[in-house]
Amino acid sequence: MWKQLLPGLRINIFVTIVFGVVYPLAMTGLCQVFFPHRANGSLITVGGKAVGSELIGQNFSKPEYFHPRPSEAGNGYDATASGGSNLGPTSAKLVLGTVKTDKNHEAVDFDGVSLRVVHYCVENGIPYESSEPLGRFRDAGGNLDDVKLIEAFNDKKAPLVFRAKEPIPADAVTASGSGLDPDISPANAAIQAARVAKARDIPVEQARQLVARFTQEPTFGVLGEPRVNVLELNLALDRQFPAK
Amino acid sequence: MTALGIAQILIFFALIFICVKPLGAYMARVFEGERTFLHPVLRWLEVLAYKAGGVREDEEQHWTRYTACVLSFSIFGFLLMYLFQRLQGFLPFNPQHFGTAQVPPDLAFNTSTSFVTNTNWQAYSGESTLSYFAQMAALTVQNFVSAAAGIAIAIAVVRGFALHEMRTIGNFWVDMTRAAVYVLLPISIAGGLFLCSRGVIQNLKPYTQVATVEGGTQTIAQGPVASQEVIKELGTNGGGFFNANSAHPFENPTPGTDLFEMWLLLVISASLTYTFGKMVGDTRQGWAVFAAFLIMSLGGVFICYGFEQEGNPILAKLGLQTAATANQPGGNMEGKEVRLGVPNSTLWATVTTDTSCGAVNAMHDSLLPIAGLVPLLNMMTDIVIFGGVGAGLYGILIYAILAVFIAGLMVGRTPEYLGKKLEQKEVKMAMLAIIVTSASILIFSGVSTQAHFAPKGYWNSPGPATANLGNDGPHGLSEILYAYTSSTGNNGSAFAGINANTPWYNLTLGLAQLIGRFLFLIPILAAAGSLAAKKKTPVTSGTFPTHGPLFVGLLIGTVLIVAVLTYFPAVSLGPIVENYLMHAGRLF
Repeated sequence: MWKQLLPGLRINIFVTIVFGVVYPLAMTGLCQVFFPHRANGSLITVGGKAVGSELIGQNFSKPEYFHPRPSEAGNGYDATASGGSNLGPTSAKLVLGTVKTDKNHEAVDFDGVSLRVVHYCVENGIPYESSEPLGRFRDAGGNLDDVKLIEAFNDKKAPLVFRAKEPIPADAVTASGSGLDPDISPANAAIQAARVAKARDIPVEQARQLVARFTQEPTFGVLGEPRVNVLELNLALDRQFPAK
Repeated sequence: MTALGIAQILIFFALIFICVKPLGAYMARVFEGERTFLHPVLRWLEVLAYKAGGVREDEEQHWTRYTACVLSFSIFGFLLMYLFQRLQGFLPFNPQHFGTAQVPPDLAFNTSTSFVTNTNWQAYSGESTLSYFAQMAALTVQNFVSAAAGIAIAIAVVRGFALHEMRTIGNFWVDMTRAAVYVLLPISIAGGLFLCSRGVIQNLKPYTQVATVEGGTQTIAQGPVASQEVIKELGTNGGGFFNANSAHPFENPTPGTDLFEMWLLLVISASLTYTFGKMVGDTRQGWAVFAAFLIMSLGGVFICYGFEQEGNPILAKLGLQTAATANQPGGNMEGKEVRLGVPNSTLWATVTTDTSCGAVNAMHDSLLPIAGLVPLLNMMTDIVIFGGVGAGLYGILIYAILAVFIAGLMVGRTPEYLGKKLEQKEVKMAMLAIIVTSASILIFSGVSTQAHFAPKGYWNSPGPATANLGNDGPHGLSEILYAYTSSTGNNGSAFAGINANTPWYNLTLGLAQLIGRFLFLIPILAAAGSLAAKKKTPVTSGTFPTHGPLFVGLLIGTVLIVAVLTYFPAVSLGPIVENYLMHAGRLF
């Protein structure tokens, strides 16, 4: 019996050493020698300090920057908690969003595509039609109240119906699979260019030209999709047109 | 569908096709013990493995002995993996200081069965659970050897057809070692270096903290990813280093790596058809199986891509663009990466479930209903469309036995396949393998939809087991069904909205993985043993040819009919009804 079983143990120990220790360590050594920048995460440094990775998206919410896609990694672009929403096409949470009540304060639990469409239209001046004027959902400071909006979308009797009158690129209001998508579509960047140009007080054409320069076409003209790396684009913006 | 999208899909299959003959012929030489161009470089490692294991290269094994070796190898692999995870806090390469708190016994059990059975279902997030040592010594090792074991078993089954009047079907230790040393290792080294050159990370550093442009901080997970990424695809394992798997930019940074990783995950399964033809002495037999694979796979890809590119009609009402244009992808982008877009995501979803890989580059849970049905049905065929490395070949041979048996019944002749008369024992074994796996999927799913847990219990949080789902309505049923189908089929992809990291799901899914691996391979090894002992029947004018279009059609028909008859009621309550409700605008 043992004579039959023993090779099972001995070969397992052998393969653990070969494939579990020698192979990955040797690969680490080779990669560190030949591709140190890539092997260590393709980090981008500005003034000697790492500001991010060219492959990993990060949060931008100020108007003078291009915004990345919505992210479901942790609280947004958490590069230690990658993942998507995993919500299906008929999920009310995905489409309408949810709020959660903690003690006395209500907070947004999941923002939902409807709310994102509202923000995208308002921020970028896209015409829309709404069953109720959006002014009703603004707080004293004039900002949109997300909790009220989500509650209105979820209202069983008379839900808020909102629709953009110009097509919105799908990537702008949906979350990626990794939650760390570094890219947006060129169409999404082109729409945001107007807002960014206004916030930086530069002609729209200059912002659009920058977007065009940072647009990556499909590899060999066929593989993958055209895309714009948000972090690289924003860093170039800061270099060329520093915000006032 | 766009022209570029269709072109990408065809380029991918062309790349696979041109490798089938060279790689298949190479593997045939390796497993028949002939010298190859890699022997001068790697022979010493093979010999060293035999020495370390205390096994003799020239010993031949009866099928029962062969099976016992598979089991012994898997049991010890399981034990080592379990220990490495539970003890990770005391082991080296652990810069994030993960300990036993991250891996409770039920999770460690599930992950161990999952990797030993080549399933690589993951109930945890890699970047917040496992040390680099556990990722390397436990996960990467099983990525190599569970795949090598699958190839070995397939080769043994092929010998059942190729040999005659023999009591033995080869030596498991020799087949497994050769698969790992001559096939998996060289491609992994070259492929890992390529992946790293394109941006897949490979280091042992603690997580990097950066100060973001807007003044926040971001912690970026690191690790020895490239060495694991390459074998994860090549061995059709599919367990991601990170939670987001191959959607994560550090696992799959560019469209080029995406194409390469898809090539890795399909190329061995596709090439084994040629190896099979070569070993039974008639390559046309291998091409017939390849043709059946290709037709079923292409059908799946275009259904999945076509439906997904239409986009979600509910979101279209909000103003989202669903048609693709030159500067935006259109379609359903929830859970997808911009660099990969809809065609690459749906192609990957199809081939990762054709094979037993289960790595994902987009979140399957967010696929539109019919697009999500394609991966589900792929796995319900017992993963025999290309299939896992090795597992796909021995799986399709089960269906070939069945197809020939059905043809035999129709014309009233004793069925023959590759010169072997198929009798009671072989057909019984083939049926057993198919029935056991469908029972596992349907019974476990059925119980989970009904199970209810008491307060303060160990098994799950109190209330119904369906409370763990991430979606309500028919999509919730799809989540449960997908989980048990994926585990039983040893695939490992998920409709990941389900919280499966509870003792109930960890243990039942772990059991499903064991059933799907071992109760599938033991019957087929038994059949192989009995076939090897038979005489070769001469081909006559009455023999049903198994290398022509008629056989290919019959084989595809058998696979589809068995899957549809078994699972139609279940999938009609999940994805099919969801599709109608989605078009009616219903939300859950």
